Amino acid sequence: MSRAPVPTQPASRSTAAAVGALPSRLIATFSGPVGFALKIALLSIVNALSVWSLTTLASRDKWVPFIVLALATLAIDGIYLMRRAFPLKFLIPGTIFLLGFQVIPVLYTVEVAFTNYSTGHVLEKNEAITGIQGAALNQPENGRTYSMAPARDANGKLVLVLVDDEGGRAYVGTPDGLEPIPSSAIRRDADGAIVSAKGYRLLKGSELFGLDKQITALTIPTSGQKAIRAEGLDTAIELEPVLRYDRAHDQFVRIKDGVVFRDNDRGSFVSAGGQELEPGWKTGVGLKNFSRMIHNPLVRGPFLRVFVWTFVFASVVVLLSFSLGLFLAITLDKKGMGLQRLYRSLLVIPYAVPGFLSLLVWQGLLNDDFGVVNRGILHAHIPWLFDPNWAKVSVILVSLWLTFPYFFLVSLGALQSIPSELTEAAKVDGAGAWQLFRKVTLPLLLIAVAPLMIASFAFNFNNFNNIYLLTGGGPATDQPIAGSTDILISYTWKLAFAAGKGADYGLASAVAIVIFFIVAAISTIGFARTRVLENVA
Amino acid sequence: MSVVERTEDAAISRPKAVARRLRGPKWFLEMGWRHVVAICACLFALFPIAYVVSAAFNADQSLGGSSLIPRHVTLENFRAIFRTSQPAGSEFLPAHYVRWFLNSMLIAGATAVATVILGALAAYAFSRFRFKGRRFGMLALLLIQMFPQLLAVVAIYLIVLRVGDVFPVIGLNKPTALIVVYLGGAMGVNTWLMKGFFDTIPSELDESARVDGATPAQIFWGIILPLATPVLAVIALISFITTLNEYVIASVILQTTQKQTLPLGLYQYIDQQFGKHWGPFAAGVLLAAIPAALLFTFLQRYIVQGLTAGAVKG
Amino acid sequence: MLNKQMARVGTVLLAAVAVALLVLAPGAPAAHKAAAATTIRIWTDQDRKAAVDRVTSAWGNSKGVEVEVVVKPFGKIRDDLKTIQAGQAPDVVVAAHDWTGQLAADGLVVPIVPNKAVLKLVPKYARDAFSYGTGVARLYGMPTTLENVGLFVNTSLVKVPKTWAALEKSALAFKRKSADNLAIAVQQGAGGDAYHMYPFFSGLCGYVFGKTKGGSLSPSNIGLGNKAFLKNAPLIDKWNREGLITSKVDSSTAQNAFLKGQAAYWITGPWNIDTVRKAGVKFQIIQVPKIKCRAAPFLGVNGFMVTKFAASHGVESAAKDLVASYMAGANAQQDLAAANGRYPANVTAGKRITDPALRQIGRASTGGVPMPNIPQMGSVWDELGGAWVKSTKGSGATPARSAFATAAANIRKKIASG
Repeated sequence: MSRAPVPTQPASRSTAAAVGALPSRLIATFSGPVGFALKIALLSIVNALSVWSLTTLASRDKWVPFIVLALATLAIDGIYLMRRAFPLKFLIPGTIFLLGFQVIPVLYTVEVAFTNYSTGHVLEKNEAITGIQGAALNQPENGRTYSMAPARDANGKLVLVLVDDEGGRAYVGTPDGLEPIPSSAIRRDADGAIVSAKGYRLLKGSELFGLDKQITALTIPTSGQKAIRAEGLDTAIELEPVLRYDRAHDQFVRIKDGVVFRDNDRGSFVSAGGQELEPGWKTGVGLKNFSRMIHNPLVRGPFLRVFVWTFVFASVVVLLSFSLGLFLAITLDKKGMGLQRLYRSLLVIPYAVPGFLSLLVWQGLLNDDFGVVNRGILHAHIPWLFDPNWAKVSVILVSLWLTFPYFFLVSLGALQSIPSELTEAAKVDGAGAWQLFRKVTLPLLLIAVAPLMIASFAFNFNNFNNIYLLTGGGPATDQPIAGSTDILISYTWKLAFAAGKGADYGLASAVAIVIFFIVAAISTIGFARTRVLENVA
Repeated sequence: MSVVERTEDAAISRPKAVARRLRGPKWFLEMGWRHVVAICACLFALFPIAYVVSAAFNADQSLGGSSLIPRHVTLENFRAIFRTSQPAGSEFLPAHYVRWFLNSMLIAGATAVATVILGALAAYAFSRFRFKGRRFGMLALLLIQMFPQLLAVVAIYLIVLRVGDVFPVIGLNKPTALIVVYLGGAMGVNTWLMKGFFDTIPSELDESARVDGATPAQIFWGIILPLATPVLAVIALISFITTLNEYVIASVILQTTQKQTLPLGLYQYIDQQFGKHWGPFAAGVLLAAIPAALLFTFLQRYIVQGLTAGAVKG
Repeated sequence: MLNKQMARVGTVLLAAVAVALLVLAPGAPAAHKAAAATTIRIWTDQDRKAAVDRVTSAWGNSKGVEVEVVVKPFGKIRDDLKTIQAGQAPDVVVAAHDWTGQLAADGLVVPIVPNKAVLKLVPKYARDAFSYGTGVARLYGMPTTLENVGLFVNTSLVKVPKTWAALEKSALAFKRKSADNLAIAVQQGAGGDAYHMYPFFSGLCGYVFGKTKGGSLSPSNIGLGNKAFLKNAPLIDKWNREGLITSKVDSSTAQNAFLKGQAAYWITGPWNIDTVRKAGVKFQIIQVPKIKCRAAPFLGVNGFMVTKFAASHGVESAAKDLVASYMAGANAQQDLAAANGRYPANVTAGKRITDPALRQIGRASTGGVPMPNIPQMGSVWDELGGAWVKSTKGSGATPARSAFATAAANIRKKIASG
């Protein structure tokens, strides 16, 4: 903070120093050999945990994480044992968590943005082919169902003992087909389940379950493409495939009419007529999600309107909340003012209640026919949530309520950084209260708080909860998706998760990236304007 | 240590404002209007909360009804959240309020303490050292948190799933996993706030300590941290409260009832699948807000000590 | 200050000790417990945990299969299935029928074919709820419990109406008695609520998706703007003028009004039966009487599905036995339905229900329409709810015809964007 005149002494911190005296004495005792031993102990723990994880990773053949972890551990040891590299020593602990739980999720989002990950595209291609084959089995008209028991024949070959549900005729099913056996050879219990079959050993218990894959793979051809397959442990069913997979050409052919479904390079088998087989698979699609965004009429129509409102919403909420929070912090800062502590504690309460509860309460309070605000307080009939403009006012009002305690707290803390000498000096110079605030308090405060305001702006820019829980983005306009209070994030959420086939992670990620660049650009301009960064230099 | 003594000397020599007794219009200009403002602000802050209180004592399971005074006053809602066995015919699952409460306190407490330490460490580096990439680093801290969290939950879930496979302590249903995930956000804005504060601590203090042979670590723990109590208290409080109320990430990681935190556990009462029982929910939320309020009351003296002793005026 | 040499030595030593301890320690993470003979893993929500435990362990004991029940929040069952690693994945999940399309399109669940005996136990409309397929419709789940809304009538305030005309007359007469009274309490609020409004929608001959020749739902046949409905839509404008229904009523207002006797009629579901009883209101539940068409409610069906992971775990036939056969049984369904106060899908189990209110709500489901289970339904909720909000918000309301026609057009655009 090179710009602020450096006071010769810190702002009044007598208590702080008194409080700090004890720990610092403790620290003094613990430095030297004890502090050093502590450092070694901590490093050893880190190393031990790391080696432990390395053995696990090695035992599972996960070599990429193995190498990353090994290198990271070596680097940490190196840095903390070096005499230099002080900044890194202080930055590493936080950075590890930051990388793990902020940077990696961002990278994950970026990766997803270039795929078609969405409803119907979550599997690998080979799994999808299996899935299509499994789903494309039709129960033919007059298709038969059987009571079934897996068994071994005299040669130990796996067969299915079958009793037709209609007519009760008995068969043995093998990959070669059905072979009638006398019904007298089979005993069934009261529920119709097969208990025994002469000449065959029925499979039971663990032997039966151990053969799961063989049993489910067993198909007993009947006529044409039809075949009997086991369903569960005591039922078999005659099914007929609708599609045939042609491995040589990597395509599906509809058996009935020969229509061909080809891989469209976007994770689906699609016919010339545009019909798509489900499931598809997850695959890279390059920039398609971004181009979809640009070409989608659902985006082009309302984008500008939504963007402007998002900007207004975020800026107004931050400015109002900051002003109110700071005003209250300063108002309550008066030596000898009674009830000061009580007021302060009460003002923080909105912050201490989970936001989703408060939003739901506000929704009730603002109901224009039945809510307290209209009926109990204003005796008016303001359509708080049902009129597009009033809904905007409501959203801002409630967000203000939720946000001002944060700025109140921050201002309380940041006011400490203002050296009392400066304010005293200004007063000696005859500055009035307002002048003092404008010329001394506010500029100094802004140095510490401006970054928080920018961060809060960005937070509100993406404040999905406030919008979603209070108005759901409504009231609806005539445009699809984008309601009158929808901000970019809630609108794009609906675009990705409540349109088309639902959950479209690829599109959502692409949109997240675009929104990030918008927020980052605005914030960077904000930084430049508040000159916060110069203070960092 | 000489460093500390010097600080104390400096601090003790502060000028102290003198309290004056005032009366009449002058009292109003100096004091009275502050009470008016404070009372108005408290009303604005508290009137929605009043309806939460009302719901907590209301037998009707409603929220924000037009009358503040419940039609049937009852303590049943409070009883319901402490009932650990499910009585026959009850529509509620057994509650594990005490458990949720302890889980929440553990997670929020640990996160707050660790956030303060991690944030302060980084802020110290940014405040006291000049190194390559410092400016970029600070900007990056802020910008990375602006990335829309639309899919972060999915990614975090995947990370926890995979890390938990190797390292069961950071797996699903583990409070440690949740704490670790929350610490990913420890640096960001907090670091800026603390750095701004550290900057105002005169570097002469560090210099003289360094002359006395103190290492940067000793300066950090021995001088900077004790002097930065107000801002540390603010960040601890903010971190504690946000962690306490966090829902989305917690719901992804803590999936069984016994392991959950308060917002998750209480949410079952207003899950539409079983009707919205605002009563027990509100009762639980109220009780849960108490530690946060107590913590603030306790931390207040650290946060505002400079204010009351200093002479900043509005 | 100690020198660097010692520092390095110290670290290496301590690390080596720790490594030795951990590697030698029993229960190192690599040594997972050996898999039991045959284990089926089931994901269920907390509310059904106990019942699922009972039902599946009875099955498991009889077959010699171990059952591992894992608790997940209900919605997470659907979401986590996409991302779970095969090793930890479930073989069977508790599911809502309207997940069917999404999960089947994802390829995460596999079709089941119950035997003929089972088909007789579980009615077709409940099974249809779990059927999905763009070419061939297949069954993806076994229905176990049903839920739907009905018209709760406060019998100490009004007589149970037999016809729509009687209901309308009595509701409006009740409303006129006091400024605080509501005619029919049905929740909407600013965000809308297409689910609770569905009886009125279907009562005016509206539908969401029409069916293809093959009997599956067609995302290109949108019924919001169908001719019959649009012809009847002016009735909505009339209701709005009379104040029969108003979108200003949200869930809390509706509940309050009914419990305080400020509404004699309330559209809600079995989840509120206990609340109404506790408040001491005498009530009866009926289906909303026929308006122009049957005022059928949306039907929500819960059940069990077999995942694709069962095959790779080598338990597919066992999992299918559990879901397609055992779960259909009356005893299993009775237990599951009782666990969260719902009506069982199994006909025999349904006959055993003794709770009069639950029986009534079961009857109110007659002709109910399963919420469309195709993934495109996501495009409908907001628009359908929004059309109701716009057309029933009192003064300044949009004429229903135009509100619903706009909604239909918007839904088409949204579906096309996928």
